[in-house]
Amino acid sequence: MSDRDETPTTRLRRELPAEVPAAPAAPPTGAGRQQAEQQPALTGRQRLVNGLWPPRVTRAQLIVALLLFGLGFGLAVQVASNSEGDGALRGARQEDLVRILDELDDRTQRLEEEKQGLESQRTELENSSDQAEEARRQTVEKERQLGVLAGTVAAQGPGITLTVEDTKGTVEADMLLDAVQELRAAGAEAIQVNGVRVVAGTYLTDSGDGVGVDGNKIDQPYRFKVIGKPQDLEPALNIPGGVVQTLEKEQATVVVERADKIIVDALRAAERPDYARSSSQ
Amino acid sequence: MIAVLGLVLGVVAGLLVGPEVPAVVEPYLPIAVVAALDAVFGGLRAMLDGIFDDKVFVVSFLSNVVVAALIVFLGDELGVGAQLSTGVVVVLGIRIFSNAAAIRRHVFRA
Repeated sequence: MSDRDETPTTRLRRELPAEVPAAPAAPPTGAGRQQAEQQPALTGRQRLVNGLWPPRVTRAQLIVALLLFGLGFGLAVQVASNSEGDGALRGARQEDLVRILDELDDRTQRLEEEKQGLESQRTELENSSDQAEEARRQTVEKERQLGVLAGTVAAQGPGITLTVEDTKGTVEADMLLDAVQELRAAGAEAIQVNGVRVVAGTYLTDSGDGVGVDGNKIDQPYRFKVIGKPQDLEPALNIPGGVVQTLEKEQATVVVERADKIIVDALRAAERPDYARSSSQ
Repeated sequence: MIAVLGLVLGVVAGLLVGPEVPAVVEPYLPIAVVAALDAVFGGLRAMLDGIFDDKVFVVSFLSNVVVAALIVFLGDELGVGAQLSTGVVVVLGIRIFSNAAAIRRHVFRA
């Protein structure tokens, strides 16, 4: 392709000794043509200087100048276009661009999938946190309801007060227990007697001239504060042969009053049962 | 001297004009430039050897450019354009280096 290709054999032979010996001026295997060249005793350096100075306008010089102009032009243009801002993709070949585009598509797809996954995860978490919130709300609600039953929270609502004055000391624990049972049967939701909350585990004992409720001695008059439906509670106490009549038979004074607002504020500490465990989840 | 002036003028003109490279020749221009460089080094060496011939130089210059562009074009068509242009650049680079070595020996005697 280049001039060098024109005479490969001589070139090759001349190169080899030039590399090895210290005196390249007289290569031992020089071809005849080379010796003829050396006749004018012109070295390469002299030829270079001769070519450069003085400037001669010859056909060869002009043609070479034209070609070199083209080369310089192309070089400068290529360098300029390569160093432009968008040079990264500018010089790229079509297949490279296609590959880059494919990679970008893949990447976009992957990121899209990742985004979808994360979004569904987020939705899931939001739902579950909503559900957790709902569950918590229901739990709190349930706790309140159960707290009313267990006596750990105060309660208020419509109900009745039942006052038993037992000046003669004839009222015994079982009568009060009957009253409590009757109230429960009539739908009483929260009961307290003289400041003691009556719950599921409440027991009543006779204790001297009074009555013990869960070990707390209470004296007459016994005041029951009961939350429930007054229309059910009052008749339940007043039925013939019921609590009121039984107590009155013992010469106690019994007063039943309906009230729109009864406050049961006697509390009881929540106790963890020692043996019983919840068998449900 | 005129030739060197031509090269300098070309570089200056290319930088000043700064034309957009047409999309058609865009993949071939870098390879063509490298091929032309190879031809120029070959020519320089031939001149130092005293066997420079302007006709040979013109033909080798143009054919270098054309063949390099052709190889790249063929490579693009075959789908191995990137590898093939790398190969062309490597081969031309080796030739440029060996030519440069010969020139160096002429000029510096080393």
